[in-house]
Formats: sequence, C-alpha cells, structure tokens
Amino acid sequence: MKLVLEVKELTKVYKQRRGENVLAVDQISFSVWKNEVVGLLGPNGAGKTTTIKSIAVLIKPTGGEIWIDGVNALKDQKRSLERIAAVLEGNRNIYWRLTPKENLEFFVGLQGHSVRRTRGYIDELIELFKLKEKQNTPARKLSRGMQQKLAIACALVKQTEILLLDEPTLGLDVEISYELRRILKEMAQRGERTILLSSHDMNVVQDICERVIIINHGRIVTDDRVENLLKLFRASAYRFKIEGRLAQEQELALKRRFPLLEVEATDHRTYIDADLEGSNEIYEVIEILKGGQARIESIDHKEPNLEEIFLQIVKGDKR
Amino acid sequence: MRHLVLFWALLKKEYIYLKRYSFNTISGIITIYLVFLLIFYGVKALGGANFGDTLEGIVVGFMVWTFAIFAYSDLSWAMIQEAQQGTLEQLYMSPLGFGWVAISRVAATFIFNGFIVVLLLLLMMFTTGKWLHLDFLSLTPLILLTVAGVYGIGFLMGGLALVFKQVQSAFQILQFVFVFLIAAPPDKLPFMKFLPLSMGTQLIGKVMIGGVPLTQLPLHDLLFLVGNSAFYFGLGFLAFKLFEGIARDRGLLGHY
Ligand SMILES: Nc1ncnc2c1ncn2[C@@H]1O[C@H](COP(=O)(O)OP(=O)(O)OP(=O)(O)O)[C@@H](O)[C@H]1O
Ligand SMILES: [Mg+2]
Repeated sequence: MKLVLEVKELTKVYKQRRGENVLAVDQISFSVWKNEVVGLLGPNGAGKTTTIKSIAVLIKPTGGEIWIDGVNALKDQKRSLERIAAVLEGNRNIYWRLTPKENLEFFVGLQGHSVRRTRGYIDELIELFKLKEKQNTPARKLSRGMQQKLAIACALVKQTEILLLDEPTLGLDVEISYELRRILKEMAQRGERTILLSSHDMNVVQDICERVIIINHGRIVTDDRVENLLKLFRASAYRFKIEGRLAQEQELALKRRFPLLEVEATDHRTYIDADLEGSNEIYEVIEILKGGQARIESIDHKEPNLEEIFLQIVKGDKR
Repeated sequence: MRHLVLFWALLKKEYIYLKRYSFNTISGIITIYLVFLLIFYGVKALGGANFGDTLEGIVVGFMVWTFAIFAYSDLSWAMIQEAQQGTLEQLYMSPLGFGWVAISRVAATFIFNGFIVVLLLLLMMFTTGKWLHLDFLSLTPLILLTVAGVYGIGFLMGGLALVFKQVQSAFQILQFVFVFLIAAPPDKLPFMKFLPLSMGTQLIGKVMIGGVPLTQLPLHDLLFLVGNSAFYFGLGFLAFKLFEGIARDRGLLGHY
C-alpha cells in the first residue's frame, strides 16, 4: 500500500505574549496509507486542530516533519497543497454571499482547475449533498447543517488525494450528522479518498473510521484499527450483576485491587464493571464478593463501545 | 494557464458581489458624489472665479482619492472579512500560492473600481461643467502606478489586522491621511514627493488638466513615480509577509 501522509515528531508550542507557553502538540508521529479513513480522537484541547492545521501548512510547527505523497510539506508548500483539501471548524470556510453553486465553482477555480471540465462533478456533489433545491440561494440563508455540508462539498470539489476534516459533525442535529456520516462512509468504501478526520464524538469515529488515533495532552495514546481496539476490550470487559448492596469494606477492597473498577448501585442491585485479565482476576473479584451478604446473579462479557474505551484510555493516561 | 483560471475565478466572484450588492455600491457612489459637490461648491463660493485651476484640481484630486480609498479599504477589509469567515485559510491553501491569490484579487478589484471611478468622474465633470482631458492611454498606467503605493499600505494594514486584529480605527484615520497626501502641493512641500500618492496625483493633474500626454511628461518625474510606487508596494508587501509569518506561527490565520 502507498504511504500518502507521514507525520514525524510533530511538535507545536504556542508562544504567548503573556503567561506560559502552550505545548499543544508533543512529538506526534503517525502514517496514513492510501484510501485509509483515520479518526483523530481526543478531548477538548488535545491538539487535534493544531495537528490538522499543521498538515495543511496553516500553522508553522515548532518541530517535526510532514511528508505528503513524498513531498516535504513544510519545504514545498505549493506541491503538497495540490494533494490536500481541508474543512476547518464546520460551517465556516465558505462564502456566505455566494450560492452553493457559485461557491463550488469558486473553489474549483481557486485550485486552478477548469470549471467547465469539473461541471459534471459539481452537479454530482450538489446531488450527493442534497443541495439541489438550494443551489441558487446565498449560503448565509442556508441552515447550519446545509452550510457544513456545502463546506465539505467545496473541499471535495478540489479532487485532492487527501481530505482533512476538523470536527465535521460538530453542532449538527442528529439527522444531518447521520447523513454526513453516510456520505463519508460510502466515499471511504468506494476507496475514493484518504480521509483524516478529527472529532471528540466517538460514535462518529466508530461509525466512519477503520483506524483511530487517540490523542490527549498533545500526545498519541493509542493508534490502532477500530476493530482491534474493540476486540481487545471485548476480551477483558466484564460486568457483575449483584443482588443487594456491597458492604463498604468490600467496595474498598475491590477498588484497592482494581483502581479502574466501577461500582454502580441501584435500589436492589449493584453492578460492577471491571477490566479483568484472565480467569484468575475474575476469581479474585468473586473471592472478595463472597465475604459479604451480596449474591452474584451473573457475570457477563460486556460489549464495549469506543466511547468507553476512549474514556478508559484517556483516564489511564491522566494518572 | 492555471494562474489565469484562478484570476478568472476571483474576477467572477468580485463581479457577483458587485452585482448582488449593487445597492451598497450605488449608495457608496452617491455618498462620495455628495461629498464632492459639497467641497466643490464650498470652494467655489469662497474663492470665486480666480480659483479656476483649483476647481479642476479638486476634480482630479477627488478622483484619485476615490481610487485610493477603494483600493486600500478593499484590501484591508477583505483580509478581516475573510479571516472572520474562515475563507482566508482556504485561500492560503491554494496550490498556486497566496501571493498569486492576493495579486489576482487586487487586479480584479482594480478593474471594477476603474469602471466605478470613471462613472463618478463623468458625473462630476457633467455637474461642474469642468471637462477634463480623458486620455485613457496615458491615465491608466499613471493611475495604476499611483495607486500601487496605496495597495502597499493596504497590504501592510491587512498584515497588521492578521496579527493584532483590532485595527479598524487606524483604517479610518488613514483615509484622511490620504486627503492630505493628495491635496498638499509637492511644489511647495518638496518632501511630499517621497510619500505615496502625492507625485502621482500631480502627474495625473498634468495629463487631465494640462492635456499633456504620458510621453511628454518629464522622464525623471515618471521614473521617480515608478521608484516611489515600487518602494511603497514592496515595503507593504514585505511587511505583510512578515506579519503573515507571525500569524502562521501563532496560529492566527483562522481567528478573528
Ligand atoms: N492560536 C493559539 N494560540 C495559543 N494557544 C492555542 C492556540 N490554538 C490552540 N491553542 C491551545 O493549544 C491546545 C491544543 O488546542 P487544539 O485547538 O489543537 O485542540 P483540539 O483538540 O482541536 O481541541 P477542541 O476539541 O477544543 O477543538 C489547547 O490547550 C489550546 O488552548
Ligand atoms: Mg479543535
């Protein structure tokens, strides 16, 4: 497979006139192969936007290298920009006084491509993003969701190899968010583009991406295929259902032994969620529970979702 | 070829804006026209007939001022607006380079502003009865050269706006500085010709009032104008590049 994007030890320190310098991105390295769809997942302030803008050479990194299709992006900006389109922060990035059609045509021209020869693709995108009815309405009169769709269409119309999307579904209502996800997913499945998208919404990443890079405090915490992550956690996530309540000392003993374990009590039941490796650890939990009044009703494998995995990884990272 | 395609896209966008917001354009022209009438007839009432030359000078000066204001405000306001809209980052991502995008935009607006100013000029000449020499072949390069210095200032202010953001009040002050640069006579204040606009306005006056064609203007004056405009344009553009670098470093291209 062909390597299309290589980020090597990317570092960004924002110098501030007052106060401390901010280390936004701290020696991040990762690679993206052709036609991959990679999610950049992280909480607020993790460094997602900084990473994406550095790749698009809108921010000058403090250190590190970015290679796009074999081109050194920091040295040969124009050549690397031939291969990149980016949508930053949602519904901005478009001309509010121009209609969807005029916007699309403008961005084709900005790329130096002939509008006449791109006409077919412009119509295709208008169709795909359901902008037909509004194609002659100025963008400022469109709904936020429509504007956001248009912004993505304007990036696609440049027909670049790589598409960078910063929070593409932020602030959208559920319906439009799903529509966008469907479009991106189909595009990915057809193998049309290489996509790097950031989000702090795990559902979006789990839905669209094959691979996820989780960053926190400007560092990469994990970089793995989404299915691997799910598998890994599926193997070790357990939920104990217990009749009645735990005694205080039991709960303390459990938490001392397994710091990340969580206890949730309802009126008649207690649920214990824990990551356990191997049967020995399961027996340890059972051993501690035996001491009190509680009766174990069931022990189940939990179906994890990316959200929980993310929270655990980020929590683990903070300690 | 691709460079021309980009220029065409910017030209088209400017045209659409002009057409879609023609109300703004027209009301702008009318405002400028009313201010002109006020000044023209004010001076006429004060000085009477012995101000003959001055009255024609006012027409020329006003034309240059209009051109300068259009050129300058267009560039610096555009920078702020595009930063606000988040489209500035898109312009920066053009593979043909932001430099070419900026130059194309300047060229596109120069063309449209040219039409508007000619229209305004005809209107001014019609109402005042002061018909001046409209030798477009001589005037176009002269005006281009004169306004180039102003574009330099526009770039400088645009760069400042990228980094420091709140510079609108300085924008407005500069518009009045232009009045001074255009109106103060370089014959009496020799240092003036080292500043932008002054020298160019004088030469334009010679063409329009005196009927002298470009080829018969003193060569050293023309060369001086070329040097002056190149200096201010270059300085402004360089300053812009400097501020752009700072903005890139601080991650400010997409903020306003
Ligand atoms: N232009 C800037 N100047 C100074 N600090 C900045 C700037 N942009 C971002 N930061 C800081 O750098 C860190 C990383 O910010 P960044 O915007 O990259 O995070 P993010 O993952 O995109 O967050 P979010 O989910 O909120 O968009 C944060 O601490 C942020 O405050
Ligand atoms: Mg962000």
